[in-house]
Amino acid sequence: MSRKVVEIAERRLSLSNLEKDLYPSYGFTKAHVLEYYGRIAGFILPHLQDRALTLKRYPEGVEKAFFFEKRCPSHHPAWAKTAEIRGDNGERMTVCLVNDLETLIWVANLASLELHVPLARAGSPETPDSLVFDLDPGEQADILHCARVALILRDLLSRLRLTTYVKTSGQKGLHVYVPLNCKETTFEDTKTFSKAVAVIMQKNYPDLVTAKMAKEHRKAKVFINWSQNDASKTMICVYSLRAREKPTVSFPLAWGELENLAGRRDPEKFQIIHAEAIHRAETMGDLFREVLVKKQRLPHL
Amino acid sequence: MAVQGIWSGTISFSLVAIPVQLVKAIAPGRVSFRLLHSKDYSPLARRMFCPEQETMVPPDEIIRGYEIGPDRYIPITDEELESVSPERSRTIEIVEFIDMAEVDSIYFDHPYYLVPLKGGEKSYRLLVEVMRRTNKAGLAKFVLAEREYLVAVKSTEGALTLTTLHYSEEILPDEDVSPQEGKIDAAEKSRMKKSIKEMMADFNPEKYADERREKIVDLLKKKAKEEATVEAPEIAEEEGEGPADLIAALEEIMRQVKKSR
Repeated sequence: MSRKVVEIAERRLSLSNLEKDLYPSYGFTKAHVLEYYGRIAGFILPHLQDRALTLKRYPEGVEKAFFFEKRCPSHHPAWAKTAEIRGDNGERMTVCLVNDLETLIWVANLASLELHVPLARAGSPETPDSLVFDLDPGEQADILHCARVALILRDLLSRLRLTTYVKTSGQKGLHVYVPLNCKETTFEDTKTFSKAVAVIMQKNYPDLVTAKMAKEHRKAKVFINWSQNDASKTMICVYSLRAREKPTVSFPLAWGELENLAGRRDPEKFQIIHAEAIHRAETMGDLFREVLVKKQRLPHL
Repeated sequence: MAVQGIWSGTISFSLVAIPVQLVKAIAPGRVSFRLLHSKDYSPLARRMFCPEQETMVPPDEIIRGYEIGPDRYIPITDEELESVSPERSRTIEIVEFIDMAEVDSIYFDHPYYLVPLKGGEKSYRLLVEVMRRTNKAGLAKFVLAEREYLVAVKSTEGALTLTTLHYSEEILPDEDVSPQEGKIDAAEKSRMKKSIKEMMADFNPEKYADERREKIVDLLKKKAKEEATVEAPEIAEEEGEGPADLIAALEEIMRQVKKSR
């Protein structure tokens, strides 16, 4: 087992198993994962900041068993920031906050390929700073169907004077974000609003959209998962790797690009993998930056 | 042995110190079931209910009370409980050795294995061997999960085990159990001795199995094969669409969107 000690911001970190192939059919090792997170750090850190991280760890790589870890591992370095939150059943738990490069690298070294965070920050767990429409294609539907739904949502919401942003899930879906960044809006509001939108979408596009969770309703349709707007739920963080065959990334797309992709009829074209993610971020900047700062209010509530 | 340790520290007495890890010795054989709602197979959750206010009580409004009489309680806070909790043990300090034959099995509570950690193997083996030959056990006080236990460290088939013991005050008196009166007839006594002798056998626990458990496991296997399984809904979905004015506004905008597309 190889170990390497690195020093980041005068903090020593022991990295292990660097040659472990975490994406065996693609050939992407722990060292590659650490390099990816090191280079994307400047873009992903603002989106992880002060949010209770859920680790999704793949110690034996993406083809083997994974486990979720909501609690910050008890062996965390003393300098890693943590927060005390209340879990689903009311008990207190300590969670990790990934607020700096060294914590990000420590977390990646635990083979937590995927970084999942709530829509609210740990200090204000009941007030989401964005609303999300999680577009999830059912069997026989794909990301092209999601793109159609996303574009309709964009048009619908823009008539309510709400600006929206879209990212790939890094798997088969798309995530449409509505930045809020105002303290008065609660999860109750975002859930009510997103559910109403999902129901209206289903009514008007019954062959394309369902607002119902049950699997039998989802065949060949896009499920608008409004229930993600909840304090207990997490979303894959923008710029996080996904544990698929290839190291794909949950990556933001400009609406114009989504329109183009929707016309090209090739679902694979939507997937952004690690190297392209870094290249795009470095040349185009953070297309999701506004999600963190733009202040908007939900109407009719 | 790749097992999850519950505790690690040292066993010590006089000049001996053996680094060890405490691991479970028992995996309960009981088949446990979840409670489901028969209508939609949702797993049921336990909620605390206040019968007085006829409402569910959130966790942050729940406290502990010690019942001293009908409807009278002494409230106790988590902090107060913590202040009287013993500190976690770093060592299992054996204070005396006793003869195992003297300990009635009624005192035995829960068994664990002690696994030697690096550097402790040699003295571990020595202690196993000596205690086995002499049938002795070491008595110690030990704090596990905020409770202080009296424990017996003894030798069982090549390994050290730790068994938590009941405190004597926990054992109910047997005065009312055994009848006081009556003479025992010598002939009856020898008859009973004889019938016991006829039924003597070596202790072979493998001969016995929990038959109900085996039957349940067989039944579950059969049902799983027949795919007689049910699935819970992913989440409970509430009825209703949302506030009427929001729905109306969305309907109107939807019309415009469809027209312009």
